[in-house]
Amino acid sequence: MTDATPALDLRERTDDEGRERLARIERTWASPTGFLGWFMPVNHTAIGRRFIVTSFVFFLLSGVLALAMRLQLLVPLNDLLTPDQYNQIMTVHGTAMMFLFAIPAMEGVAIYVAPLMIGARDMAFPRLNAFGYYVYLIGGSAFFLSLFLGMAPAAGWFNYVPLSNKEFAPGYGVDIWTTMITFIEVSALTAAVELIVTIFKLRAPGMSLNRLPIFVWAVLVMSFMMLFAMPSVIVASAMLMMDRLVDTQFFVTEGGGSPLLWQHLFWFFGHPEVYIILVPALGIVTTIIVTFTQRPVFGYTALVLAMVGIGMVSFGLWVHHMYTTGLPLMGRSFFMAASSMIAIPSGVQVYCWIATMWGAKIRFATPMLFVLCFFAVFIAGGLTGVMVASVPFDRQVHDSYFVVAHFHYVLVGGAVFPLMAGLYYWFPKMTGRMMSERLGWWSALLIFLGFNLTFFPMHQLGLEGMPRRVYTYVPEMGWQFLNQLATAGSFVLAAGFGLTLINAIRSVFCGEVAGDNPWNATTLEWATASPPLNSNFPQPPVIDSHTPIWDWQQDDERPVVGGLRDDRRETLVTTLLDARPAMVQVLPGPTPWPFVSAVAASVGFIGLIFSPWFYVVGILAVFATFVLWFWPRHPYREE
Amino acid sequence: MHVRVTVDASEHPSYDPHHHPLWWGVLGAVAIEAAVVATLLTSYFYLALQSPAWPPEGVDPPDLLWPTIVLCLLPASSWTMWWAGKGSDAGRKRQLAIGVTASVAIASLALVARSVQFTELDIRWDDHAYGSMLWTITGFHYTHIVSAILGTAVVSVLAWRGYFTPERQLGVVVDTLYWYFVAAVFLPIYLVLYWVPRVLS
Repeated sequence: MTDATPALDLRERTDDEGRERLARIERTWASPTGFLGWFMPVNHTAIGRRFIVTSFVFFLLSGVLALAMRLQLLVPLNDLLTPDQYNQIMTVHGTAMMFLFAIPAMEGVAIYVAPLMIGARDMAFPRLNAFGYYVYLIGGSAFFLSLFLGMAPAAGWFNYVPLSNKEFAPGYGVDIWTTMITFIEVSALTAAVELIVTIFKLRAPGMSLNRLPIFVWAVLVMSFMMLFAMPSVIVASAMLMMDRLVDTQFFVTEGGGSPLLWQHLFWFFGHPEVYIILVPALGIVTTIIVTFTQRPVFGYTALVLAMVGIGMVSFGLWVHHMYTTGLPLMGRSFFMAASSMIAIPSGVQVYCWIATMWGAKIRFATPMLFVLCFFAVFIAGGLTGVMVASVPFDRQVHDSYFVVAHFHYVLVGGAVFPLMAGLYYWFPKMTGRMMSERLGWWSALLIFLGFNLTFFPMHQLGLEGMPRRVYTYVPEMGWQFLNQLATAGSFVLAAGFGLTLINAIRSVFCGEVAGDNPWNATTLEWATASPPLNSNFPQPPVIDSHTPIWDWQQDDERPVVGGLRDDRRETLVTTLLDARPAMVQVLPGPTPWPFVSAVAASVGFIGLIFSPWFYVVGILAVFATFVLWFWPRHPYREE
Repeated sequence: MHVRVTVDASEHPSYDPHHHPLWWGVLGAVAIEAAVVATLLTSYFYLALQSPAWPPEGVDPPDLLWPTIVLCLLPASSWTMWWAGKGSDAGRKRQLAIGVTASVAIASLALVARSVQFTELDIRWDDHAYGSMLWTITGFHYTHIVSAILGTAVVSVLAWRGYFTPERQLGVVVDTLYWYFVAAVFLPIYLVLYWVPRVLS
């Protein structure tokens, strides 16, 4: 059916039939409200928003922990925190920033934005999506709660054995780490599968892979990396869990095990992890650059290949965290070369961005400002990265504050600045209101200054020999001044983030109304209302270029999909490469079962801290709830 | 802005197993579990190459009889799954029901063989890292057989109740895919756990 006569967009129609049809579609896709309704929504916009908000709450909490550490290090021989408290706070800060903030925040943005960008009405497995969120919420809260109960893990975020063995870490701390991290990784894996399948199969007709927006490519690479990196940390923490719970000997030297096995398994996950956070951030940066220069990206293919390249190479770098563990020279040389190689695709990205911005009339709104901060900070972190990739240099600064400075430059520069940019950029889409530009500028300025004031002195502290993870130092070392600078900087940094928090809360209620497409961007998330309609697109779009919205504006016409039913949740499934229409998928509506399953799984995992029998209990409980979840609902025959 | 309908969704079916996202989703789950197995086997080799003797002195490699029986039973149960799927495609509900039930029965036999084998292992999990690896990998695969049996049991209940039709048999298709994986992944496990110690020593 190719309709030659132009009809008006459903959202612009004022006749009764048009309005009624829109209302019917919106009712079909609506999420329930009220207290019980909170446990039921499955729409990706609802789940994505929850992921983002929850991860930022964990970000704030972990940030407060960082301030506590900085206060403790303000003067030599400070006794604000006991050594054990300091270790717990440090461990929870690192673990939470990585596992409870950075990954879920990226997942959240991906879950919220990617389906909109590809013109889908929801994700492929909406209920699994909800399940993943509850798992993350329960696991993350239980992990954080351990700190308030004074039984938090204290062996650092990478939890090295033998320090984390039963012998040296008695109590439940490390058990909480192993079980809750495994549990939260389950949530990350569900998100990864979900995102891959959604991007592969639910794209708008015509959006062949070579028309996929760069951000969606980034999400795809991130998801594949999760798929192959997370199992490694799951296996490692399961082994450590068993070592502590049922006396297996995986990491016990006397029993034929090897502590180094932990380091290999952990870093085989841990290094790709850094890029799991970075790659979607690169996607955010590219998206924002395109919008704020108002021109198509330079070197689309090169950018995509660079991201895929980063994803692949990142699996061959893990040993550079282990240069001081007595590896053979050949191994160290290989990984040194591989580590330096990552600079090549990263460089390609930077050149493509420069070429895109070259001669363009750049609009310097807050998102673009954060992108510029990202350039400065991330490139500085990349430079120290090339330094520590080299074996002789690394062996000098290993386990010193130089490394602390390096990875904060890379992680905050590579993930937090782009996330802040993304927050200011997509906030109008998510809430329908703009954030204040003036507060945004001040926030960006304070964050940039505060960040550099906090972490730049740490390079020097590291070169002067200050080891990382120490809870205090003696005055004779002469580290006091630089530490005071860092502590002062950390409060400026916190003030900067505080401004954004105030800005966000204020703007939700009294920000300027945004409209559909306030930045005049070209990707599809801006082709629906702000906040998006329940169905995302009452008439899903059809694509024939990289810059759909700009093209439609020129033609004053938009090709759409017709023939989807209004009375159930239907979305179009397309082929993998060319996105030709293939079938119609009927998606499930609101349901409480994902929540019930997540609670069952939580009982199993939290029980594992105390007794191995909860493995059996957990499996059976989860199976029972899954059966109820998937059991065909009557009357199924009418379909 | 004007719209022009250029794609008509009502021309397309709402069931097509090879385009259905769930089929791809199960493939994703299989990829994750394959990565877990690969990590476990790599760890096995890592520890084996670090140890002066693997298995440790005085410990015999596990008996070959029971694992070999499992190695034969799992493909047999896969064949009945395949046969059940053929029946389902042709709309023969009885063949589907008999096939999946037979698979559950054969896999339960494999589970019995697996259980007997646990009792005959020459080493405990807490004696040596070798024992830890052996018990963990065996236990991991055991859990998989259990979950495949449980899942397929539900499918067979639905099959006997006549729920599946050629247009509505996605549950069978994805269950079969997972079943094949559980059967296939035993081959590398079998070779590593039961033959590598014999070759190494």
